[in-house]
Amino acid sequence: MSEPAPIVDANSPTGMLEGDLVKRARRGDLKAYDELVQRYQQRIYATIYHMTSNHEDANDIAQDAFIKAYQALKSFKGGSSFYTWLYRIAVNKTINFLKQRKNKHHFSLNDLDFNTENNPDLVALISDKTPLRDVGLTELQKKLNEALLKLSEPHRMVVVLHDVQGQSHDEIAEIMGCNIGTVRSRLFYARQQLQGFLAEYIK
Amino acid sequence: MSEKEQNFEALKQLLKLKQHEVPPPGYFNNFSDQVISRIRAGEVSGAQTFTEQLEATAPWLVNFLRIFETRPGVIGAFATSLCILLVLSVVFAERSDESSKAVFSLTDPTTSATDGSVAAVSAPPLLAASESYGIAVSTNPVASLQPTTTLFGQSANAGLFQSASFAPAGQ
Repeated sequence: MSEPAPIVDANSPTGMLEGDLVKRARRGDLKAYDELVQRYQQRIYATIYHMTSNHEDANDIAQDAFIKAYQALKSFKGGSSFYTWLYRIAVNKTINFLKQRKNKHHFSLNDLDFNTENNPDLVALISDKTPLRDVGLTELQKKLNEALLKLSEPHRMVVVLHDVQGQSHDEIAEIMGCNIGTVRSRLFYARQQLQGFLAEYIK
Repeated sequence: MSEKEQNFEALKQLLKLKQHEVPPPGYFNNFSDQVISRIRAGEVSGAQTFTEQLEATAPWLVNFLRIFETRPGVIGAFATSLCILLVLSVVFAERSDESSKAVFSLTDPTTSATDGSVAAVSAPPLLAASESYGIAVSTNPVASLQPTTTLFGQSANAGLFQSASFAPAGQ
């Protein structure tokens, strides 16, 4: 795998390189770590939220993941990017949490944003392809989350990372510690399963 | 296959709905502050807990122990296998004791001191007679290094040792 490009956040207050922030955070600079948290909080939270379908759980696990990452920063060798390493911690924490929660799903779904109804793909999907045309977006959201929770954790993780978050196969393989072939096969199987669960909403 | 791909396309579009699920407004404004204050609180309260230290140093062990938390059947099976292993090791230990006793009894000088056949069998012919002063020489590493007599017992080589006395000189 090629060396990841240096990540600079144009919106960050300092615009510092990720590597410099990591070095400073390793020396105990909490301001630098605060910036790293701000950089990745949305993506980490979103991944955990899509895995758990519960806002409160996602909040707790995301915070725990960032704290664990800070405590383990000294063991971060820099073999992968900080972002991938952080993701791996979050993914492991989430999977451990889900194993302990096992079959005790309780939804605490976030609201859909205002742009949902303006998304042409979703509008087309509902108006053209869905047999139940009167189905509301909120109901569709609930059914989708229910279907996702029926998948095993590794299959759900692959779908969330690839189809929801747009990560590449390479990145997912690195985050999940498996090879690309496994990622592809899990993705195919998970999509087939989802297709079966959501058959009445997908023509 | 193309039909499947088409269906996957529909599924992918449906999954985009997930991208529109957003946390309450302003949620991320305080998120990093909460993380940092929890880190500070942890630093103030002192070192990491034992579990956290273990997780940092040996994550594989923590993952192994977590299997027991989530699957009670596994810990039962693990405990049973440990018990079986313990019983088997006790049985085998007793058996090996018995077999070693049998080996020692073959070379035990108290039972065969007068019988030169054992020494003759276990030691090379040339060395057996001349160099086995107190020690039987043999290619058998365990049985041969046993003293042919006890320290305080009667020895066939008693002439080699001087008798010691605590009586003052001249008496």
